[in-house]
Amino acid sequence: MTLIQEKTIAAKVRSDFPILNEQIHGKPLVYLDNAATSQKPIAVLNALQHYYKHDNANVHRGVHTLSSRATDAYEGARDKIAAFVNAAFRQEIVYTRNASEAINLVAYSWGLANLQPGDEIILTVMEHHSNLIPWQLIAQRTGAVLKFVELTETEEFDFDHFKSLLSNKTKLVAVVHISNTLGCINPVKEICAEAHRYGVRVLIDASQSVPHLPIDVQDIDCDWLVATGHKMCGPTGIGFLYGKLDLLRSMPPFLGGGEMIADVFLDHSTYADLPHKFEAGTPAIAEAIALGAAVDYLTNIGMDKIHAYEEELTAYLFQQLEQIPEVRTYGPKPKADGSGRAALAAFTAGGTHPHDLSTILDQAGVAIRAGHHCTQPLHRYLGAQSTARASLYFYNTREEIDVFIAALKEAIEFFGSLFG
Amino acid sequence: MALDNLRDLYQQVILERYKKPRHRGKTNPVHRYQRGHNPSCGDTIELTVKLNETGDRIEDVKFEGEGCAIAMASADLMSEALQGKSLEEALDMVQRFQNMMQGKGEFPFEQRKLNVMQGVSQFPVRIKCATLTWHTLKAAIEASNPQPAGFVSNE
Ligand SMILES: Cc1ncc(COP(=O)(O)O)c(C=O)c1O
Repeated sequence: MTLIQEKTIAAKVRSDFPILNEQIHGKPLVYLDNAATSQKPIAVLNALQHYYKHDNANVHRGVHTLSSRATDAYEGARDKIAAFVNAAFRQEIVYTRNASEAINLVAYSWGLANLQPGDEIILTVMEHHSNLIPWQLIAQRTGAVLKFVELTETEEFDFDHFKSLLSNKTKLVAVVHISNTLGCINPVKEICAEAHRYGVRVLIDASQSVPHLPIDVQDIDCDWLVATGHKMCGPTGIGFLYGKLDLLRSMPPFLGGGEMIADVFLDHSTYADLPHKFEAGTPAIAEAIALGAAVDYLTNIGMDKIHAYEEELTAYLFQQLEQIPEVRTYGPKPKADGSGRAALAAFTAGGTHPHDLSTILDQAGVAIRAGHHCTQPLHRYLGAQSTARASLYFYNTREEIDVFIAALKEAIEFFGSLFG
Repeated sequence: MALDNLRDLYQQVILERYKKPRHRGKTNPVHRYQRGHNPSCGDTIELTVKLNETGDRIEDVKFEGEGCAIAMASADLMSEALQGKSLEEALDMVQRFQNMMQGKGEFPFEQRKLNVMQGVSQFPVRIKCATLTWHTLKAAIEASNPQPAGFVSNE
């Protein structure tokens, strides 16, 4: 297997990420926890600094020069995000704090206004807690009922089961695009088409896909899509909701405050137009602008190229993991060319607990996640109390995978000899 | 070698207890029952305690659950150290263990086995693994009836 892209992406971009020069316990950092959060390129760090050094003012509130610069940069970032996911209108992008807040916005605004007792919401057993708990809360308030799509034998979205759950009681499908644990890529376009035959709304949790694949919301034809800035080279504290224009227009406000109003009287108010209706209070201005810089950065590299390179890394990662007999990976296996799943591997390693693995790998400079990755019901479903997870991004290299695998083997040997 | 720095953490006794725990199971009868849970990693523990006739002294402690080497060895060593201790002494030990995790002090000679856990204090992110069983014990002692009282969490 030759890694064609290795020289053209990772080698080129690594110097953009100052943190990748860190030494951990005297070893070069090997950062394989990208599904939790990505690292930030210098362009994003500079955007934050530039804003505070040169443009800092509140947005949409002043007529002075700084306020208009801040507003332009803040709204300019929205245009970038809209183009990045190919939204038809810039007003379809609503800034939120993160993906979780975006889902809560839909749940409390649309959900409370539209769901009746007995209405059904279809989720999957692989949802991140962020796309589960809000619906549990709304179901308790409205009397709606949650249904869960299960997994196929290859631990992927079971489309037939999904179809069997759809009915005229269904009001909403909320599904993750790429599972942060299984790494499967769910057929969201087909899911939307199927749901729309019943007039059912679809929300896509794209937290793990927007950073790694080209995303086209018009092609997917989803009603809402959420993502979170910190997993796509942006800062924390900023994410976004995409929603179809008419749908967002029909939804009542979520949070109240400044920015989101048109006319305010003591006893009632009228609300601002989209997207401001959903952006109460002073927003995360610097973070939004820096997310715009992250989008520029990713676009310059090219999401197609990032995706292709990550497939090569996926192929290599799984080839190496498969050679360790104690390792059991979760989710679908990649095809030989690395396609068919995301560049992450959740796994268990015989009798070695993921926590112990992670501590040992940390000593080798390797950062992986151990635990339930905010998918406790999925772990229960899989019969795994916790898993370890290595998750890659386009700045990772084959050499880093080698370091990870060597340390993993060492850890397994260490604990394996105990149980041998 | 990644493992060189880890000898303090994974002492032989800890590894042995992880592999072959001596106090796994349920006491008979169960006078106190408490489940503990580490929500950040999913580790769980179920402690059962058998008391003496006057209900102020521990006759036996057993644990069940799933967790990492540190969590499981800690539970096993704790169960052993508590045999025959009064409830008051046990609560003192909880405090002493927590102090030890902060690098302050250790157990006296007759409870020195617990001192193998001292190395954990060098790994701040793992302290929760070691203290889960002790938090659970504290809740078990402080609950005044044998009914399962939900989870305690060590967040
Ligand atoms: C699939 C998925 N959905 C939602 C989230 C939540 O993202 P955030 O915590 O930024 O809201 C995450 C990441 O933690 C995720 O992996």
